[in-house]
Amino acid sequence: MTRPAASPPEVVVRLSGFVKRYKQHLAVDSLDLTVQRGEIYGLIGPDGAGKSSVMKAIAGVLRYDGGSAEVFGTLVDSERAAERVKPRIGFLPQGLGLNLYPELSVEENIDFFARLRLVPKPELHERKSRLLAITRLDRFRGRLMKQLSGGMKQKLGLICTLIHEPELAILDEPTTGVDPVSRRDFWAILAEWQADKGMTALVSTAYMDEAARFHRLSFLSHGRVLASGTPADVQSLVPGLVVTFESSPQLEAVARLKRRYAQVESLGPLLHVFTPEREPEAAVAGIRQALEHLPVEQVHADEPELEDVVVALLLKEREEQLGESAGSDHSARLAGRQQLDGLAVEAKGLIRDFGSFRAVDRVSFDMKQGEIFGLLGANGAGKTTVIKMLNGIVPPTAGEGRVAGADMRTAGGAIKERIGYMSQAFSLYLDLTVIENIRLFAGIYGLARRQAQQRMKWIVEMAGLTGYEDDRTGRLPMGVRQRLALGCALVHSPRVLFLDEPTSGVDPIGRRRFWELLSRLAREEGVAILITTHYLSEAEHCDRLALMYAGRIVAEGTPADLKRQVERDIGQLLEVVVDKPGVALTHVVTAGFAGAALFGTKIHVLSRNPGRDEGRLRDVLARSGIAVGAVRTRTLSLEDVFVSRVMALEQAARKEGQP
Amino acid sequence: MTARQQAVTWGRRLAAMTWKEVLQLSRDVPLLLFLLYSFSLSVVVSGAGITMQLTNAELLVHDADHSHSSRELIHRFQPPYFKFAGEISDPREGLRQLDQGKVMVLLEIPPRFHEALMSGERTAVQLLVDTTNAPQGLSAAGYSVRIAGLFGTETGLASAGLSGAPVTLPLVSSAHRVWFNPTQDERWFQSIAHVLRMTTIFAVLLPAAALVREKERGTVEQLLVSPLSPFQIMFSKVLAMSGVILIALSLALYGVLHPVFHVPMKGSTALFFLLTTLHVFTTAGFGLVAATIAKNQAQVGMMTLFVVGPMLLLSGITSPYESMPQWVQTIMTFSPLRYYIDITYGVMLKGAGLDLLWKPVVAMLLLGGALFGFGMWRFRRQFQ
Repeated sequence: MTRPAASPPEVVVRLSGFVKRYKQHLAVDSLDLTVQRGEIYGLIGPDGAGKSSVMKAIAGVLRYDGGSAEVFGTLVDSERAAERVKPRIGFLPQGLGLNLYPELSVEENIDFFARLRLVPKPELHERKSRLLAITRLDRFRGRLMKQLSGGMKQKLGLICTLIHEPELAILDEPTTGVDPVSRRDFWAILAEWQADKGMTALVSTAYMDEAARFHRLSFLSHGRVLASGTPADVQSLVPGLVVTFESSPQLEAVARLKRRYAQVESLGPLLHVFTPEREPEAAVAGIRQALEHLPVEQVHADEPELEDVVVALLLKEREEQLGESAGSDHSARLAGRQQLDGLAVEAKGLIRDFGSFRAVDRVSFDMKQGEIFGLLGANGAGKTTVIKMLNGIVPPTAGEGRVAGADMRTAGGAIKERIGYMSQAFSLYLDLTVIENIRLFAGIYGLARRQAQQRMKWIVEMAGLTGYEDDRTGRLPMGVRQRLALGCALVHSPRVLFLDEPTSGVDPIGRRRFWELLSRLAREEGVAILITTHYLSEAEHCDRLALMYAGRIVAEGTPADLKRQVERDIGQLLEVVVDKPGVALTHVVTAGFAGAALFGTKIHVLSRNPGRDEGRLRDVLARSGIAVGAVRTRTLSLEDVFVSRVMALEQAARKEGQP
Repeated sequence: MTARQQAVTWGRRLAAMTWKEVLQLSRDVPLLLFLLYSFSLSVVVSGAGITMQLTNAELLVHDADHSHSSRELIHRFQPPYFKFAGEISDPREGLRQLDQGKVMVLLEIPPRFHEALMSGERTAVQLLVDTTNAPQGLSAAGYSVRIAGLFGTETGLASAGLSGAPVTLPLVSSAHRVWFNPTQDERWFQSIAHVLRMTTIFAVLLPAAALVREKERGTVEQLLVSPLSPFQIMFSKVLAMSGVILIALSLALYGVLHPVFHVPMKGSTALFFLLTTLHVFTTAGFGLVAATIAKNQAQVGMMTLFVVGPMLLLSGITSPYESMPQWVQTIMTFSPLRYYIDITYGVMLKGAGLDLLWKPVVAMLLLGGALFGFGMWRFRRQFQ
């Protein structure tokens, strides 16, 4: 069904002067928002910005305190009005698989929601098989929901939300905590349903790199809109360039740059600076000036990513946040600097079986002191089990390893005293205050009172917890909690730090600050850090990465190495700007282009020969009457690397499975 | 590291964990209020309110004789045991009131009752007792039989002309002396029993809930990668909760039992608290085992209900242990409460010492050790 292009856009959701209060706390402050039919509209913003309140009110499950919310032209101001709109809406609440029933199978869950929505049998059958096929869940029809991985649960949640073909889908942080491959599947369903059925979607996300997939978006902070429009509109709000280069000594360079630039990040060996200049020459010159005599090598100047822009917007809003940490750079230094040489972790052929299932299969890698090592992989790839083995919680079935100089199999106790660990679930005591938490862990690690006092001071300064000391942990914002958890993991000056998805659910500024802490720990204190994350833009911070798939390490190297390998295998990334992306995508796919995917109004295609393929693309699209704008090559992101690797492996596994 | 340093570190770890538990409990205001209520007001209520003794049994009389003797007999049914509910002329009316549950006892005195007694004939009275509430009904029947019997004997003796004269008949006189609770104050038994119940419930529930909460919140992972041993993790909870329960128990003892019900402490207070600690430790073992199986607080609550329920009912505070069937008694040898009851009544009311109580103490020690060991084994296993 294609609608005539000229018809005026129909407004599906219109909020004006929308206000929501929770007791004294103003969650949403006179917000205006319109969503048009057929749009994928994004709500982005940090934790507690008011995204969920807005979405719940639109879905008719939350009362609001002021302004109006119209959905399909109906004013949703009473339960009765909400009931009138609800049949045309699908709502996926925040949290992995929270709308599903763990004791039912995949198919039973879908059937239940279909019956609830009175979907006729033949339609149900057709939609079910199609949705299961796109999400690659068709092999797991009979599996109980509680046995699915996080990513699969979330895909199933989306299927159940879409099974009655709602005109408007409201999805609250559907991709948080979901691995990149499942995330792509997720976007694939949305794009297909939008192109095919003309569905409108309102989606919130904490992943800034996903924001480019929206047609339009609003950036929320503290219940107000900081920016809205198409991704390009938002990007143009904060003009500037991102300059990437190498310099040494890195810490000194960061300190100097911070005096001049608000956004300075270290990504492994690289530095990443957001400059307000628009000309590459001027931008680089400014950086050279700021660095004084330090060397500047391998310079690139690129268009900023949306995340850079968003952080810049947030910084404008609360300038003090990142500034203070720059000041405390040198005051908080560990008294006894640790040895920088030697291997921190040495894993050789680690194997772990659970019954007949091999969770980890011959994993070997090394980590040096002062290195940040990233372990990537889909949910259930075995990352957490590897960490648990190295921590001595789970004994390996076979293989050996040394952690912080102690043998994993015989010296579990010694290892535990030398490592720090922070788990994916936020694992501090919410009913204790900040200081009480730190004191508890100081006691657990057997620190004497004087020593404990010293460390406590160091942690409070290092993690920027000044002023929060006597607050109950449960009342702190996520970002602060996360830094406290890191502080507690560091109370005994460990030589190796294990971080299992430490930044899930933390907003972009909180994440950047967290990473700043990590790189200082690695560079200054020589702590070896092993980290797992689903935010692949974060993985750029790592010195080295290992990618896990089905319990094995399938690729290892620096982020740049990995990108180069994949570029050699599958080609470069071409970004095509078109006027009718949905239709265009179908043509691009039928013409046989690899890895075609929709990003808002743009199409991404992989190409081994960009020069030739650009011509072919333009030809194909021109013949179908689609206007083509710019075609650009972009550097692959780590997410591209991850997805293409895993997809290739999955395909190989499927071929093996059915010869 | 020397052995001494190691011991210091070990102690520091346990202390840090124990203090954490105390802090967490102190932040849980609803639970604290519940704890306070359970060891104060609720003890008062059950001590004053629960009684198994016969009081105010409604007595209905159908007196077909209206003689001196019949009035004499009726007069002997006295409060506080019986309460005179009136006289009726139609015996069917009495049956109706019994059926409706308005009265408990119906006394029927036949015509010519006095005459028969005076002439030395045999005569009988009929007593109908509603024993729907078995203990009460049986007591009422027992008392009535004694009253009627005594009346019969005395009248018999009088008619033989022996009243007033020194009696030399071969009668067994039962003069009994009540020990340990000389005023036969049932409130002692009931209030102590309630304190025992509460101690047991909290001893199972508090450590179990604390452990499951760590599992639910994921904080236990953080503890597992630290140098804490499973023993330290579990024992710190028992330690903290035992402290809290002992404080609550002192409140009940010195705030309610002594001042309100005048319950004595015949034996050593220190011994009583020491053995209470042992009871709490042993009982907590059940809770910890349940906590290693349960996944969340709701489940652990349900599981402890299964354990605590029978323990409370069958250990001997609700019904006498000796009158239960043998197989129930056998099962109940695994109930720490069963030993704790002997200990408590022994120390508090009889002034018993360890020389008399060593058997239940050894039994509790064995049971507690076994439960704790099993709990620790389960705890280790569940995370691998």
